[in-house]
Amino acid sequence: MADAVAEKVIVTLASVKRIPADKITIETNLQELGIDSLDVFTLLFELENAFQISIPDDDVRSIRTVNDIVVGVKKLIPATPPDKSVGSATPAD
Amino acid sequence: MAARRVAITGLGIISPLGLNLTENWNSLRAGRCAIGPIESVDCATLRFQNGAEVRGYDPLEHFEGGKDAQIDRFAQFSVVAAREALRDSGLEFTPALREQTAVICGSSVGGQMAIEMGYQDLYLKNRGRVHPLTIPKTMSNAGASHIAMDLGLSGPAYTVSTACSSANHAIGQAFHMVRGGHVEMAVTGGSEANFAFGFLKAWEAMRVIAPDTCRPFSKDRRGLILGEGGAILILEPFEAAKARGAKIYAEICGFAMTSDAHHLTQPTVEGPSRAMRGALRDGGLAPEEIGYINAHGTGTPGNDPVETRAIRAVFCKHANKVAVSSTKSMHGHALGAAGALEAVATILALHHGELPPTVNYTEPDPECDLDYIPNQTRAVQVEAAISNSFAFGGLNAVLAFRAAH
Repeated sequence: MADAVAEKVIVTLASVKRIPADKITIETNLQELGIDSLDVFTLLFELENAFQISIPDDDVRSIRTVNDIVVGVKKLIPATPPDKSVGSATPAD
Repeated sequence: MAARRVAITGLGIISPLGLNLTENWNSLRAGRCAIGPIESVDCATLRFQNGAEVRGYDPLEHFEGGKDAQIDRFAQFSVVAAREALRDSGLEFTPALREQTAVICGSSVGGQMAIEMGYQDLYLKNRGRVHPLTIPKTMSNAGASHIAMDLGLSGPAYTVSTACSSANHAIGQAFHMVRGGHVEMAVTGGSEANFAFGFLKAWEAMRVIAPDTCRPFSKDRRGLILGEGGAILILEPFEAAKARGAKIYAEICGFAMTSDAHHLTQPTVEGPSRAMRGALRDGGLAPEEIGYINAHGTGTPGNDPVETRAIRAVFCKHANKVAVSSTKSMHGHALGAAGALEAVATILALHHGELPPTVNYTEPDPECDLDYIPNQTRAVQVEAAISNSFAFGGLNAVLAFRAAH
């Protein structure tokens, strides 16, 4: 589970920054990737979609490394029931 | 400060006719029509299927590090065009000049695609959230802001939104600011990217889109065809441009704007006439000096006869001699960017001594009885030209240019 979450976080982050996933490890500091505040908003949005979670604003402020994200996401996966609306398959999806 | 002459020293453009200036000019002079089946939107439930889209554009070639996802297509077009225009001008900014350079852009609907993507997420896909940058992607000033940030220009920067006249209003204001000495340089034009399903549906409801193609001034015209793109001009004082040995494409010498104060969508003869006369007066031009008019020429039943009558009202006997074309027949109607695309066509016509045609012209209309340069580019060196833009809401903006030689 841990590996799968980390892998998904890394793939999501790589997609947001348009860089190869193999440039990112669990220890990577977000600053090293040139992540700015707009990238963070986008990343959180993509993570929410990818994991079907809702990330509270307060959880965001302490994020420094990829591992911080992985830890935060893992906390939310069991704790947060999916949005009522999320995942309800519609023809448009 | 005395009024200064203003030179156009750089051009950048991305349009359905090409991804850069050279491609655009080659298409214009070849009379290539970029109208075809719309590919980016499923048009199965629309009454029209054709448009003029920018094809072959890859945002990743222009924006790194995920910035492509943070900037709406319309603002990307403005940045791509501005970069090309600046390269083309050969200009090197000093810190002082950066502070004295204006960025003035036109856009009618701004980030329409970002808005619709958000709506699709909310209403169609039942997602509980929209892209977090929907607000800054949507704002109409994003084009001007991204140019300012990208090129490091810190003078006045804003966007004019006057529907189909947006870019002409923007370029005209930039011209007046440089001429009046309010700024030393201007980066100006417009951009639009409006191929989004809801927006197309809204145009469908207006019943002004042609089901086939755009045939301005031709008797069998059936309406306009939507386009998209962006174009940017670099304006600087003529003497400063000469002093640095810059290539001068043309001089921008006149601008005027009027309001019909009449009807939301029905044009008048009087409003556009006053705008054309005003641009000539502002540029110190006699009507007889104008050799080419880049018409608003939407190809709608309503616009073309009224614009023809307006041209006749302004140019009187000379109207029979002046060459008129609508390049919308090739690049479609790019709404808030239309004036910028057409300014580039007009400036290049003066620069190269070739007048771009009205393509798809098949049949004369007694109500449209001017020389519309049908279907074939014409090699004529004219000395001065005007470019018309008239908007829904009755807002008219006309630019006047002189050949630089």
